[in-house]
Amino acid sequence: MKRRTVIPFGPQHVVFPEPIQFRLILEEERVVDAIPALGYMHRGIEQLATVKDFTKTLYLAERICGICSVMHTLAYAQAIEELMGIEVPPRAKYLRTIWAELGRLQSHLLWMGLAADAIGYESLFMQTWRAREVVLEMIEFTEGSRIMTGSITIGGTKRDLHAESLEFLLHKLEHLEQALNDIYPVFSDDPLIKQRTVGVGLLSKADAIKLGAVGPTARGSGIAEDMRLLGYAAYGELDFQPVVETSCDSYGRMLVRVKECFQSIELIRKAIAKLPPGEVLVKVKGRPEGEVIMRIEQPRGELLYYLKAGGDKSLARWRIRTPTLSNLPPLVHMVKGARLADVPLITLSIDTCIACVER
Amino acid sequence: MSYPAGLGIILATFLLAPVVGGLLTGLERKVIARLQGRVGPPLTQPFYDLVKLWHKRPQAANRIQIVYVYAHLFFMVTSLLAFLLGQDLLLILFIFSFATVALILGGLSVDSPYSRIGSQREIIQLVTYEPILVLLVIAYYQVTGSFMVSQARSLEQPLLFTLPLVLISFLPVFIIKVRKSPFDLATQLHEPHQELVKGIITEYSGPYLALIELASWYELVFLLALVSLFWATNWVGGLLLAAIFFFAVTVIDNITPRVTYSWMVKFVWKVGLGLAVVNVAWLYLWK
Amino acid sequence: MAWVSSARKRSPWLLHYETGGCNGCAIEFVAALTPLYDLERFGMLNTGNPKHADILVVTGCVNARSGRVLRNLYEQMSEPKVVVAVGVCACTGGIFHDGYNLAPGADKVVPVDLYLPNCAARPEAIIDALLTAADLLAETRRRDQHAHQRAPDQQG
Repeated sequence: MKRRTVIPFGPQHVVFPEPIQFRLILEEERVVDAIPALGYMHRGIEQLATVKDFTKTLYLAERICGICSVMHTLAYAQAIEELMGIEVPPRAKYLRTIWAELGRLQSHLLWMGLAADAIGYESLFMQTWRAREVVLEMIEFTEGSRIMTGSITIGGTKRDLHAESLEFLLHKLEHLEQALNDIYPVFSDDPLIKQRTVGVGLLSKADAIKLGAVGPTARGSGIAEDMRLLGYAAYGELDFQPVVETSCDSYGRMLVRVKECFQSIELIRKAIAKLPPGEVLVKVKGRPEGEVIMRIEQPRGELLYYLKAGGDKSLARWRIRTPTLSNLPPLVHMVKGARLADVPLITLSIDTCIACVER
Repeated sequence: MSYPAGLGIILATFLLAPVVGGLLTGLERKVIARLQGRVGPPLTQPFYDLVKLWHKRPQAANRIQIVYVYAHLFFMVTSLLAFLLGQDLLLILFIFSFATVALILGGLSVDSPYSRIGSQREIIQLVTYEPILVLLVIAYYQVTGSFMVSQARSLEQPLLFTLPLVLISFLPVFIIKVRKSPFDLATQLHEPHQELVKGIITEYSGPYLALIELASWYELVFLLALVSLFWATNWVGGLLLAAIFFFAVTVIDNITPRVTYSWMVKFVWKVGLGLAVVNVAWLYLWK
Repeated sequence: MAWVSSARKRSPWLLHYETGGCNGCAIEFVAALTPLYDLERFGMLNTGNPKHADILVVTGCVNARSGRVLRNLYEQMSEPKVVVAVGVCACTGGIFHDGYNLAPGADKVVPVDLYLPNCAARPEAIIDALLTAADLLAETRRRDQHAHQRAPDQQG
């Protein structure tokens, strides 16, 4: 038998800003097995929600994850609205869509940077994050803060966009599109990037279905699955098709994300063009009661909330299933048999968000 | 060579080489930062790093590791010294490999998986570039009829005109030795993004890391001096050649991702070794 | 020696550890390394290796499991070292303060020198905190060992 080495990959590691540990069992430089160890980021959010006031839980939901904070508030607000039978004004729905897409843009750009970093392409990492700052500028201008914005609330949104904000958005979107046009060919055509990504981390369509992959991971394996097609917020009125790649490897997943950036820009433009006038917030009275399941599309895939309330001040149960949790079994499947040098990229290719998984 | 001149060269090697190497490292970091659209650290940054590291509390996993660090530095300085004194090129490259071997042994002496796998990769790198260096010496002997470095100065025309392909094949060797992308497999000194944390140097800290840093400055100067050998007849030409090489490597570092070691071995042996062999064969047939 | 402190001030190498929380501060810390903010112009490098680092940047609230890792990382760093708690979660536990498994602040696990309460901390604020930490680093002349740190000969 060959000599086996065990490498602790994480919890503190440079290619990951987040703590997750993979004990990689190696033969030479090939991974035979990967054992994920979770629990470094557990905060007991689901338990806290049963103690806190349900309106305050909104802020807790925002802090599940700093990268997709908008998505979590959106899902939570929609779930509570469905429980309480609140009809959100149409303008608020469009604003939510715009902010959700901005959130998706910054998340995808962040991922593209980290992926470039994982294969040692520092220059590309810097350029992607420079483009990301443009998105953050838009977020800050329209929502008031870079990460924790608190702009979506139960019953609508807390802020409204004025004509000049919309103009600013359109102007900046053009900047961003130019920057992305420069970055896109590098990701899609650079021979060395292809050499590092094509055929690495294979996940066939059958495996993706069997192991329950969601989001860009599933779409990179040829499954046209996108929760936005459910038509929540204003997505039902914006015509779009999910981006699907059929190469089933890290390269395909990477291209899905890069192309979705362009899709998000288009969606924001459509939403701004169709933005209806009117109020953005309705008053919320009473307490939620009953059960609800809410599914939305995070940058990483399908986010599922299950809420149960008994008419009390706080919720009785709040179950969060995040996309990264669904994507962990496919990840372990992909890592087996990979070279050590490819492990960071494969791990990143599902866009791990450990803060979401462990709550 | 006269006695006082030799003494001068020895002193210059000890005192001037680290200054030049440090400034070049600073320049390289600055250039990379500018290429990435950043301001970048000041030119004298490597010296701050060195002084800071030297005054951190030493921490070593075992004693033998310390011996290997000093050996690494010693062989690196010796190879540069022998080169500047115009000694036997074969011997110099032999000593130079010794420096790398010392670092590998230091990495292997620790029971850390990062350090061990980093060392294994360093061995693969050594195996990859060593044939090219041997071919370089053979080609050098064919042209000058001697192994002595001092012989290159008395040539009628620069080596570059007779050994252009060998110089090109030296480029990947240079990139591997200064640990730049795409061949930064075993470790990187200033860029942290690695699946092996810091690879071979993971377990060194404080003053020992400072010594490795210092050795890397000597190494940079030595490699640039080796490049300038290809235009040794004229010091302006030599400097120019070294400068072109230096910037080429910096730019290549910036526009390439890291490759896997199997690809590196294939590429360097096919292209690098191929070019060098063609050049040597051409010299045989043409002469 | 003045030139040693000056060198320490100009070349603080960073070690970032996200202990929990929401990632917001962690991402903002990475954003501070990128072109718009560029920490490297102050000579700061994100080393990712505790044995090379001078400043430990802690983001996020500390739970039992990550606290152990944090402690481990802190002990692996050589003196002099400074710990910066970035974000309100690392300072006090923040919004998760009442959680059943959390230590209220990173200072319950490692001695924290600087607190940066913000949610999420902006890159500008992080740069400011790190520069202040660099000043602290320059002042420490092989600082007294913290009371609960193990003696050097016991370190593995």
